[in-house]
Amino acid sequence: MGSFLHRHRSAIPYLLLAPGLLWLVLFYVYPSFQMLITSFWSGTLETGFTFSLSNWTTYPEALERYSTQFGRSILYSATATLLTLLIAYPLAYAIAFRGGRYKNLMLFLVVAPFFTSFLLRTISWKIILGDDGLVLGPIKDLGFLDPGFRVLATPIAVISGITYNFLPFMTLPIYVSLEKMDRRLTEAAEDLYAGPWRPGGTIAGAIGGGIVGALMGFSFDFSLLPAIATGAIVGGVGGTLFLNEAFVRVTLPLSLPGVFAGSLLVLIPAMGDYVNATLLGNPSTNMIGNVIQSRFLTNADYPTASALSFMLMIGILAVVAVYARALGTENLTAGRGA
Amino acid sequence: MTDPARTNLDLTRRRFLQGTALTGAAAFLAACGTSGTSATPNAGAPSAAAPSPGASDAPQVEEPSPTPIDKTVAAELQFANWPLYIDTDDDDSTKHKTLEDFTAEYGTVVKYSEVINDNNEFFGTIKAPLEAGQPTGWDLVVLTQWMAARIIRLGWAEKFDLTDMPTYTVTLEDVYRGPDFDANNEYHAPWQAGMTGLGFDRKVTGDLTSSNSLWDPKWAGRVTYLTEMRDAVGLTLWNLGYNPLTVTTEQFDEAVAKMQSAVDDGIVRAFTGNEYAEDLVAGNVVLAMSWSGDIIQKQLEKGSLRFVIPDEGGVLWYDNMLVPLGSPNLYTAELFIDFVYRPEIAAQIAAWVNYIVPVKGAKAELAKIDEDLAKNPLIFPPPEMLAKVRPFKSLSEEEEVYMNDQFSTLIGV
Repeated sequence: MGSFLHRHRSAIPYLLLAPGLLWLVLFYVYPSFQMLITSFWSGTLETGFTFSLSNWTTYPEALERYSTQFGRSILYSATATLLTLLIAYPLAYAIAFRGGRYKNLMLFLVVAPFFTSFLLRTISWKIILGDDGLVLGPIKDLGFLDPGFRVLATPIAVISGITYNFLPFMTLPIYVSLEKMDRRLTEAAEDLYAGPWRPGGTIAGAIGGGIVGALMGFSFDFSLLPAIATGAIVGGVGGTLFLNEAFVRVTLPLSLPGVFAGSLLVLIPAMGDYVNATLLGNPSTNMIGNVIQSRFLTNADYPTASALSFMLMIGILAVVAVYARALGTENLTAGRGA
Repeated sequence: MTDPARTNLDLTRRRFLQGTALTGAAAFLAACGTSGTSATPNAGAPSAAAPSPGASDAPQVEEPSPTPIDKTVAAELQFANWPLYIDTDDDDSTKHKTLEDFTAEYGTVVKYSEVINDNNEFFGTIKAPLEAGQPTGWDLVVLTQWMAARIIRLGWAEKFDLTDMPTYTVTLEDVYRGPDFDANNEYHAPWQAGMTGLGFDRKVTGDLTSSNSLWDPKWAGRVTYLTEMRDAVGLTLWNLGYNPLTVTTEQFDEAVAKMQSAVDDGIVRAFTGNEYAEDLVAGNVVLAMSWSGDIIQKQLEKGSLRFVIPDEGGVLWYDNMLVPLGSPNLYTAELFIDFVYRPEIAAQIAAWVNYIVPVKGAKAELAKIDEDLAKNPLIFPPPEMLAKVRPFKSLSEEEEVYMNDQFSTLIGV
């Protein structure tokens, strides 16, 4: 047996891959083909469905009809990804570099929300963000807010819900990336006169802050100019204070694989999410996940639902491919870092 | 890249990719084949009979020689129901006296799950096993009459042996006998009937009486409509002066347009199933299209909630117990249905649930428990109230598909 394996040792990698591939074929490739076939059906639940290649028109029709929800899904998930990045990066940085004895405790606290079900966490946000609830109630009682003000059933609540639910997915990969970085590189950088990044830090911070402000303004339905201005100012101040060259030239590039992995883990599920929009949103914040659910469950319109799922999958693949190109992480993971 | 030390196994990357492609293609062909057969069982059952829903449905699902039901009492009965729909202990929300009484008499433990929030949502969960001919895991489910009609039309409901249910056959109120989807009442048994109207917090809105309040900008952002198409559209039709029982497509379009204007103006906060009750208690919502019994039950938590049938009119509906096809405990389910059709048990449930009771003699029994409740118009509606409510028209499949489609667009999906 041993010598048989030795003679065919070039086959061993494929044998090792076999269980994983089998799982993929059974639970991904086959259902995807099944979905593709379903999208070429026409008919109704009671009269039965028939397959026909001429039903390819389902795709452009579905795309045109639900283009708003598609666009909204991309916008909301992009904003949520950016927000999780903004929150998770400092968090992961603090845990990795300043954690010390409390590193494990802090990591546990990051993951602790996952001990509760996803649905319960989102429902608990409904209670926390209630119009007269824990947060808004006292503020309204003190008179700082108009009684008609609400956070629930707005895009803010939906995006915040997505951000909250997917935060650990962004924190942990970035933490891992930063953790295994060689600290001596930053020391070396500082020895070579790396100091506060001026004026680059201010400018980069301002531009970045402006972009984030614009994105948030657009998805939260705020007026754009104040949003961009606030974002730029906050970004500029933050950039001046926190960005130094050692960070920008050494730490940041080395942590990009973690950022990339974390972004994918947030962006991809967020695009198909429907729970947050259902529980925390209103009729005009519905995402493509809600549409697919409605088409499938309420209307029994399986062809359209399958077509939408397929287009969502292709769309996500396209976005990820572009993102991977933009980040250029192939070079970074080629072994040239820590 | 080529490995210079390659052995004779010749599993090159090209060969490997070809193998994967072949597997994928095989899966593709398998999927093609499966879709063919999975489409036809759907088409088989209903299209074997007359395609028009309605009169000829009972004969369609009659088997030539029905297999005898296994007459043993099961140890467990899986019962799926809507929330707030059975008498519940005030202190312990998992204890239900009716279920305990049933267990005391027959020994069967009833596993009660309040998992139904919306007819379509629940149908989605049981559709796949029913299509595949598998048991759904439920022995009893409660669904509104139009969904019950669809399930019976599709042949997915078990047929009762009415000789096992002597009480039911006697005490069922006449108005529920012989609907067009089940002429002999042998596939469904009404659980409760109810009305759809306005639910509101009178401390905030005052006492409302007209459905025009649903379009009042004063409550913008704090109003919810129902995802139940027939209820939401029904109330709107009355508001426009039309009768839901005789709705035409044009009237329906008008109603949808009116609701669309409320959505566009930001008046409607959300379209909900039963969730509106929690929102009313929490104060997020001050006015909601509501179901008659829910508000009364929530008054325990928030005393200022009220329910009214709007002056313009409300919608009448009834929910029905069905036994999904493939349930192993049909006999026990029949016993349970018969049990809840005893007037004293029906009165016990009605005293808590506050919906319209479909059981003859329940009013007298309820008077023994609680005089005031026996006079409660929501449980035993007087003729004036019944005159203001109508059920939604029984729809053909085309109409249903069209209306569901338009309504889905309205609610943003």
